[in-house]
Amino acid sequence: MGGPASPAAPGSAVAAAVVAILSQLCGAAFLYAILKADGGWEVTGLLTLLGLGFFLLERYPAMGDFVTASLARVPLVTMATAAIVVLGFPFLVGSNTYILHLLIVAQLYAVLALALNFQLGSANIPNFATGASYGIGAYVSALLALNFGMSFWLTLPIAALAATLFGFIIGVPSMRTRDTYLALVTIAFGVVVQQLLNNFEWTGGPNGLVGIPAPSLFGHSFASPLEVFGWKLPSQANFYYLSAALVVVAIVTAQRLHRSRIGLAWNALRADEIAAKAQGINVAWYKVLAFAVDAFLAAFAGTIYAFYISYISPDNFTFLVSVTIMTMVIVGGMDNIFGVIVGAFLLTILPEKLRAFSDYRLLFFGVVVIGFLMIRPQGLFPQRLRQYGAHR
Amino acid sequence: MAELLIQQSVNWITLGSIYALFAIGFSLIFGVLNVIHFSHGDVAMTAPFIALAAAQALSIAFGATAPAWLVLAVIVAVLAVGVIGAVLDKVVIRRFRDAPAMMALVATVALGIVIRELIRHLYPQGSNPHAFPRLVSGVAFEIAGVPVSWLALLVVAVTTLLVALLFVFLRLTPLGLRIRAASEDRIVARMMGIRDGRVFRATFFIASAIGAIAGLLFASYAGVTRFDFGVMAGLLGFSAAVIGGLGSMPGAIVGGLIIAGIEVLAQTFVPDGASYRLVFVFILVIVVLIFRPAGLLGRTAMEKV
Repeated sequence: MGGPASPAAPGSAVAAAVVAILSQLCGAAFLYAILKADGGWEVTGLLTLLGLGFFLLERYPAMGDFVTASLARVPLVTMATAAIVVLGFPFLVGSNTYILHLLIVAQLYAVLALALNFQLGSANIPNFATGASYGIGAYVSALLALNFGMSFWLTLPIAALAATLFGFIIGVPSMRTRDTYLALVTIAFGVVVQQLLNNFEWTGGPNGLVGIPAPSLFGHSFASPLEVFGWKLPSQANFYYLSAALVVVAIVTAQRLHRSRIGLAWNALRADEIAAKAQGINVAWYKVLAFAVDAFLAAFAGTIYAFYISYISPDNFTFLVSVTIMTMVIVGGMDNIFGVIVGAFLLTILPEKLRAFSDYRLLFFGVVVIGFLMIRPQGLFPQRLRQYGAHR
Repeated sequence: MAELLIQQSVNWITLGSIYALFAIGFSLIFGVLNVIHFSHGDVAMTAPFIALAAAQALSIAFGATAPAWLVLAVIVAVLAVGVIGAVLDKVVIRRFRDAPAMMALVATVALGIVIRELIRHLYPQGSNPHAFPRLVSGVAFEIAGVPVSWLALLVVAVTTLLVALLFVFLRLTPLGLRIRAASEDRIVARMMGIRDGRVFRATFFIASAIGAIAGLLFASYAGVTRFDFGVMAGLLGFSAAVIGGLGSMPGAIVGGLIIAGIEVLAQTFVPDGASYRLVFVFILVIVVLIFRPAGLLGRTAMEKV
C-alpha cells in the first residue's frame, strides 16, 4: 500500500516524514496525558477529545488515509520514531511506577489481543478461551520455576509449547462446529481450565501460586532498578522493555502471517468457508492452526505476567478476561493490527482511569463498550482491503 | 441407596426444570433474531430483586406482611422483567441483528455487566446476598420415606404449565404463528405483511418473562439471591439451549435436564464433586458438540452456495 501512485500520500518524502513524526508524537502525547490524568474532569475531557477525533475520522476518512499513507511512505522514519517513543517513554514517566505498571499490563493485553486477532479478526473464528491459554502459559512457567527452579528464559518456550498443545486440543472440536456452537465450545474450554486451576491442589487452588522469582538477564535481576547512562529507572522498566519486545514480536508475527498464504487462507475462511473449501483450502487445518498460534502467543504474555506480578491465581484467567480480550479486538478493529493495539491500550487504561468514578467504573465501562459497538460497529480502525498492484 | 437415588432424582427434575426455563428464553430469542442474548440470565435474575422490593413496598404501603403481597410482588416482577427485556431489545439488541454474531455476543456480555452493576447500585446493599423466601413451604408427600417439598412440586408444575402454554401459544394463536414465521425467514415474513418489530417485542417480552419466572424459582429454591447469580444462570441456560439445539423448544428442555443431571450426578457420586461440577458440565458440553455439532435436536441447516 502507499507509494507514489497512491493519491492520498503527500507529495514529497519530507512532508510525509513530518506528518509521520508529528502524528506519532501526537499519539504518544495523548497516551501520556491520559496516563497522567487523575480526577473525573480531566479523564472526561480527554475522552471527549478522543471521541471528537474519531468523529472527525468518521466524517473525513481522507484524513486517516493521508496519515496512513504518510506513515507507509517513509517506513524507516516511522519505525525510528516509534522505537524512540517506545524506548523513551519510561524516561518521560520517570519514577511513577503506577504508570509503568499500567503500560506493562496494556502491552501484555495488546499481545493477547493480537493473538486473538488471528482468529477473530483474520478468520472470524470466535474464541473465548484466550484467557485460558494465557492462564496455562502463566501456570506452566510459574510451576516450572517454583518446583524445578527453572529460569524464566527456559520456561518461556516450554509454557508456549504447552499452551499450543492446548490450542490444538480446542481446535479439534472447532473443525466441526461453527459460530455460536463454536463460541460455546471455547467458553466451555475456558471455564473448565479455570475451574481446574481453582480446584487442583498442585496449582495452589483458589490461593494461586506465590513467590515466583524475578527473571534475570546477563546477571542483571529484573527485580532491581534499571540503570541506563546514569538514568535510574524503577524495576518495572525491565518488564516494560520485555513486554514491549514481546509486542514487537507479536506485530512482526502478525504482519508476516497476514502477508503469507496462511493469512490469505484465514481471510478466505472469513469471507466464506464453503467457497474457501471449494478453492482447495484445508479449512480444518487452518482453523486449528489459528487456535494454536493464538495459544502460543497468549502463553508468552502469560509467562511474562506471572514473572512480573510474581503472584497468580485463577481469578486472573476467568471467562471475563477472555471477553475483555474479545472486546479489545472488536472495539479496536478486527484484522487491523494498529487498531487492535489501540483497543487493548484503551480498554486497559480506561477502567483504571475510571477509578475516579470509583464504584461506578464497571457500569461505566459496560456502557462505553456498548456505545463503541453501536456507534462504530466496524471498530475504531476498520480492517483495510488487501491491495495488490503496480505501486506496491 | 434407593433413598439417595429418589432424593437426587427429585433434585435433578427440579433443577432441570429451572434450567430448561432459562434455556427456552435463549432458544426463543435466537430463533427469531438470530442473536445470542447473553445477558438473558442477568435480565432474568433481576426478577427476585424486583419481587423483594415490590413486596417490601407493598407491606409498607398497606401494612402487614401478608403472603398475598409476595404473590402480587412476584406477578409484578414477572411483568416488569418482561418489559425490561422488550426495552433492552429496542434500545440495544436489535441494532446487532444484522451485525456479525460475535458482536452481538460481546455487546450483550457488556449489557450483562451493566445490568449487574445497576442491581448492585440501585438495590440497597446490593453487593450482599439477600435471603429470598420460599414461595411455598412444607412437605407435599413422601416417596419411600423421602420427603418431596411443595416447592419442588411447584417448580415442576409451573414449568410443565409454561411449556404447554408456550406450545399452544406458538401453534394456535396468530401472534404465535407470526413468531414462527419470523424465525423461519424474517424477510419472507415481512413480505407477508408481518411487522417484525412487533414480533421482536413480543418475543423478548415472553422470553424475559419466562426467564423471570425461572429466576424467581431459582432464588426460591436456593433460598438466596445475589446480583451476580445471572452469570451462572446465563452460562448454564445458554449451554442447555445450545446442546439441545438452538431454536428448538424440546431441545431446550432436554438440554436443561441433561445439564442438571450431570451436575447432580457429579455432586452425588464424585468425591469433592461439588467443586468440580462446572468442569463436568462443560466437558459434557464439549463432548456433545463434538458428536452433534448443531446440538442434540438441532436441525443441521444445509447451506446454499
